[in-house]
Amino acid sequence: MEVFVFSLFNGVLYGMLLFLLASGLTLIFSMMGVLNFAHASFFMLGAYFAYQISQPLGFWPALIAAPILVGVLGAAVERYALRPVHRFGHVAELLFTFGLAFVIEEVVQMIWGKVPVPYDVPPSLNVTAFAWQGLDYSVYRLFMLLISVGIFVALFFGLTRTRIGLIIRASLTHPHMVASLGHDVPKVFMWTFGVGCALAGVAGVIGGNVLGTEPGMAIQLGPIVFVVIVVGGLGSLGGALIASLLIGVLNNMAISYDFSLYPIFSLLGVEREAEGILADLVSLTTGAIAPLVPYLLLVLMLILRPRGLFGTRDV
Amino acid sequence: MRILATIACLTGLVVGGFFAAASTSASAAENIKIGLIEPLSGPIAAVGTDALQAFETAAEQVNAAGGVLGGQMLEIVPLDNAMSAEKTTQQLKKAVDLGLKYVIQGIGSNHALNIIQFVNKHNKRNPDKALMFLNHSAVTTAFTNELCSFWHFRFDANVDQKVAGLVTQMSRDSSIKKVYMINQNYAYGKSFQSAARAIMKERTPGIELVGDELIVPFGKVQDFTPFIAKIKASGADTVLTGNWGPDLVRLIKFSAGANLPVQFYTIYGGLTSSVAGYGADAHKVALKQVNEYHENHDGLSADSVAFGDTYMAKYKDTWYSDRQRWLILMLAEAIDKAGSDDPIAVGKALEGLTLDGPLGEVEMRASDHQIQLQLMVSSLTRDYSRPIMYKGNDFKIAFATDGVISRQDTTLPTTCDMKRP
Repeated sequence: MEVFVFSLFNGVLYGMLLFLLASGLTLIFSMMGVLNFAHASFFMLGAYFAYQISQPLGFWPALIAAPILVGVLGAAVERYALRPVHRFGHVAELLFTFGLAFVIEEVVQMIWGKVPVPYDVPPSLNVTAFAWQGLDYSVYRLFMLLISVGIFVALFFGLTRTRIGLIIRASLTHPHMVASLGHDVPKVFMWTFGVGCALAGVAGVIGGNVLGTEPGMAIQLGPIVFVVIVVGGLGSLGGALIASLLIGVLNNMAISYDFSLYPIFSLLGVEREAEGILADLVSLTTGAIAPLVPYLLLVLMLILRPRGLFGTRDV
Repeated sequence: MRILATIACLTGLVVGGFFAAASTSASAAENIKIGLIEPLSGPIAAVGTDALQAFETAAEQVNAAGGVLGGQMLEIVPLDNAMSAEKTTQQLKKAVDLGLKYVIQGIGSNHALNIIQFVNKHNKRNPDKALMFLNHSAVTTAFTNELCSFWHFRFDANVDQKVAGLVTQMSRDSSIKKVYMINQNYAYGKSFQSAARAIMKERTPGIELVGDELIVPFGKVQDFTPFIAKIKASGADTVLTGNWGPDLVRLIKFSAGANLPVQFYTIYGGLTSSVAGYGADAHKVALKQVNEYHENHDGLSADSVAFGDTYMAKYKDTWYSDRQRWLILMLAEAIDKAGSDDPIAVGKALEGLTLDGPLGEVEMRASDHQIQLQLMVSSLTRDYSRPIMYKGNDFKIAFATDGVISRQDTTLPTTCDMKRP
């Protein structure tokens, strides 16, 4: 039982970071219908900006300034690149953001080099808050959790309970009506995209120092963010939250319990004394395939419920 | 008429091109060109360009001392494989077209295997245009066991030798009782795992193996907390790992964050890209690496220290390993000994050749073309005389020696049955 609660806790810690990363993507998709393949690249930019700003000024100015910079950059990308592409439809937008991810990676390598940069957790928060099962948890881990929960609450109420949220949602479904009422719809889209990127930037600032800030970080995290928003339901904020937590907890459980997968393969007729490739199957455990669990979940979800847990439209 | 003129023109171009090519290969006779097939573009280009710097510096040293065969200069020809298999093959063909007799490679055992297979086939079909493969860092043990070839020479310790070095050092520390192994689930990680199991059984019978984990490799694991929890729950005091890249950096970062009270025995813990990634927490973790060189060791040979100083002055980089230097020096010596740059003669001269390495004599074993060498295990520390530098950045951390592993302890039997031309 203790192991279960412990894994649950660790899973929530990791899941909330995933949510923070996915929230911006799901915001952009639900409000604009744009599937932003470069989202994880904005996450990476957030981490690098935070590193650069924190060098002279420290962590706190970086926490504020880096997401704003990423957001402004995102807004500029929407205004000067994505908007002209928009005329050619969603596939063109998708291809554009796909290419953008590569461009950002190359630029990051040119500026900051190919080896990781020493972006660290601020010393003031790098103190032990509590110990559980012999492991120390720093104040910073709790701070990450707090920021993620705060952003979820702010986004949820911002979109469903405020006038701005009303206009943004209306712009998606009734752009002409919103425009007739005197709102600048393209500008609304530009800032929505900017805010979505800024959220990725926040995730970069608070996650980059824990996961490591290097040019490969975007490629490594990119796919899993898509799993989160597809499993949660494209465009559903609550769905993204549930899916993030589900993936975080499943991942932790798979490693902690480390069940043998042999019973499944034995049903398929694999002998326990098998040799060659089959021998690998006999010794396979859930821990060894833990990072693949989210993708398994993705496949199952697409087969059984293509719109995701809380989605309102099919993928 | 116009068609005739065009044909004449084209013929002129082709013939002209032919003569141009012929003239370049004529000048090639003056310099002895050595191809270097490494990733010089793409995500791990940093590692490839570092290798290029190392070999160029080593070749310059030989050239400054008068070159080989009474005045011929060594020249490194960079051939970019962008870490892809098909480009490695393309570059091998290019090396043949350029008339090269030697290629160096070391980053990625899969590419090294590709090269071994290529040179075996090519040299059988074209014995007069043989190509020799000098391997500086590809560590898969099989290359000098069942896959051994006369055309392949390895100047780095193989996985088994490195693991033997780590385990021998562990056997000297009586405080080690329980060891947890964590490795990447692919050919290299698995060979580390099986070597460690076998050598621990023999050299550290009193140490208990309390965990033996294979993880999905190459940065797929983001959150190491559950692994840290398992290591803690197992009661291990030491983690033995072959991990490299983000799979090592995150393991170390998450351990430091959780104050996990264990020490790490690694092969690649000292790679610049790893050290850059640990960040400010690195000193909190007892991290050890096995290697043939680190610049804070007392009692390095004067040659290797002088080379490290030259390298630092030139690139503002710490000289991390010594094998690139001794590869070029041994090749130069073998060419002089053979009296020609013919790969068969040079290959035979390389067999059994010895050189004064940083810690004592190293020898290219004739039976399997595996270098025999001393290794040392060293720990990351903030108490150093010279910090690790990379491109002028001071990492404010360095390695200090725990113990030297003698040649006797790193010499392992081989199953190689070599066919010589």
